[in-house]
Amino acid sequence: MEFLTNWLAFMPVFAAPLVLAALGLIINERAGILNLGAEGIMLCGALIGIISYIELGESSALGFIFGSLAGVILGFVFGFLVVVLRTNQVVTGITFVILGSGLTGLMGIPWVNKAVSGITPIYIPHLTDIPIIGRFLFGQDILVYVTIIFVVFVWLFLYRTRTGLELRAVGENPQAADANGINVEAYRLLAATIGGAFIGLSGAYLALAMAKIFVLDMTQGRGWIAIALVIFARWMPWRAIIGGALFGGIEALIPRLKATGVPIPQYYLEMAPYLATLAVLIYAALRLRSGQDAPKALGIPYVREDRK
Amino acid sequence: MIKKLSTFAIGIAIALGITMSGKIDQASASAFKLDGEPKVAMIYFSEVNDGGWTQALYEARERMEAELGMEITWVEKVPEVASQFINAAERLIRRGHNVIIGGAFGHSDAIKTMSEKHPNVAFLNPAGTTNGPNLNGFYGRTYESQYLCGIAAGGLTKTNKIGFVAANPFGLVNWTVNAYLLGARQVNPDVTLNVVYTGSWNDPVKERSAAQALVEQGIDVIGQHVDTPTPQVVAQENGIFGTGHHRDMREFADQATQCSSIWVWDRYLAPTIKSIAAGTWNPSERPYGDFVHISSGGTDISCCGDKIPADVAAKIESERQALLNGKHVFEGPIYDQEGNIRVKAGETPGDGDLWGMDYLIQGVIGQLN
Repeated sequence: MEFLTNWLAFMPVFAAPLVLAALGLIINERAGILNLGAEGIMLCGALIGIISYIELGESSALGFIFGSLAGVILGFVFGFLVVVLRTNQVVTGITFVILGSGLTGLMGIPWVNKAVSGITPIYIPHLTDIPIIGRFLFGQDILVYVTIIFVVFVWLFLYRTRTGLELRAVGENPQAADANGINVEAYRLLAATIGGAFIGLSGAYLALAMAKIFVLDMTQGRGWIAIALVIFARWMPWRAIIGGALFGGIEALIPRLKATGVPIPQYYLEMAPYLATLAVLIYAALRLRSGQDAPKALGIPYVREDRK
Repeated sequence: MIKKLSTFAIGIAIALGITMSGKIDQASASAFKLDGEPKVAMIYFSEVNDGGWTQALYEARERMEAELGMEITWVEKVPEVASQFINAAERLIRRGHNVIIGGAFGHSDAIKTMSEKHPNVAFLNPAGTTNGPNLNGFYGRTYESQYLCGIAAGGLTKTNKIGFVAANPFGLVNWTVNAYLLGARQVNPDVTLNVVYTGSWNDPVKERSAAQALVEQGIDVIGQHVDTPTPQVVAQENGIFGTGHHRDMREFADQATQCSSIWVWDRYLAPTIKSIAAGTWNPSERPYGDFVHISSGGTDISCCGDKIPADVAAKIESERQALLNGKHVFEGPIYDQEGNIRVKAGETPGDGDLWGMDYLIQGVIGQLN
């Protein structure tokens, strides 16, 4: 009972950064941009988040804002490279992973291992005290709730606005979008920038809420997990929450099971999210005739004069 | 024709090389001879303010400079990649350094390559697993210092449940977990230990969730063998106690941290450098490296915080003295979690058994994999 309460209470904390990064990547990929650099952008968001928190009067809000601003800058640079200069998206993405690790390794040393109080969970009398689901629903930090609002917002944007429709058109068939008078390059640049903001915010959350400390290369592959999560969610924002709950739920479960000493096959448990992602891929390949429901122009640079 | 000739020449050269190196091996049965005065350089694998392993080596460097009256060059952030390490070491040797100290387990293979290429240079590597006529890996017997921290934990706990955040499940981590509980039992026979292996040396997110999960189990002292101070910070947030690893972690959690297992590499390295200079250093005598007792430096404790009762502090001091006099932490009988006897009564495990320690002792709650 107490075990369940604690597990549920910590699940959203583990899910939130994955969902945030996945949201950013969904916006990217819906416009046809494959950004494999999430890991590096998250690291920069984490470092800038910690620096602004410490230097600007221990304000988590400022930490999150500047963390996502770091993401905005990197997202824009990434967009400029792959959209305007049409560099290879896969290579550029991997370069950004190394760039993020190198930049934070160079600039981050003075801020390493400085423990911060970061963001704390809210407490609502009575509601938070409800057994089992109280802390799960009413005892999270603000950003967890903001994440859910973001998911709704991104879904509304992509599926209920004209701009969102045009953005998706750019990712599906840029030629047709162009013929309809949509500025493909502008949309893609915008998507890369907004996507970067979410990824940077996710990094700041990692540092200010999950670890409450910055160490070099602290993302430890979570940017890649977010990329897997996008595939798991099949490019739908609300499915990212399910994926985040699964990935984050397992990450919150493993240490709790270990601490109780229950003999569990921990390595199989750690495999579970990836097996689930594979299962989703296979399911999509078998069920959907087209094989994938990825945006059709994902990863392909658009050149107006190109012949198809 | 020229091609064939050159192949032949290379063949002869290799054969000569083999016979020559054979001769060097024979000659090296005696102590290592250094040309000229020692000029020492240290190569660290991470940043020098990492708060742990590398910072401890860096601080040892500062104390050694004072003690030996020499300048010791250093390079930081040379990753555990052979090409990077070799580049850094070559550059230092070219500048005249003849004592090269590596920075981590992951430098082992590269430093072995370098030691074969430069037989006139002395090489040392902390946590290294390679050795040779001019190369010694060295590591501290952390089970001794963690045993002493365990006594502190046993004296501090009110719930008789202590926790431990460990990195990866292999010998040198398992022995700290086991020794920690053995220490705690010295002052508190009823104590049990919950352990969580994070599977990572340096992941503050996993360390925080592990420490948090241990707190939920009702433990009130957290020990650790991971690289970041996160478990101590979590202990402080929850108003409980902790014991640190690598360095005195009061720096990060002044209320919670009551004792720390620390590295005092200068106490080992300074005499070693002196013996290299004197021509008495002979790594060939230690084909498996230097496995340093608390009596010869390596590890020690930083103790005691003001929350440790006086009788417990006295026990820590007397046990430390016993270790200095040669007491073995893992003196039998020692039973594993399943109740099988692992060390018979009156016996002590050999170094090979320690490195291969693949079990947790009775009273540890948790699993290795």
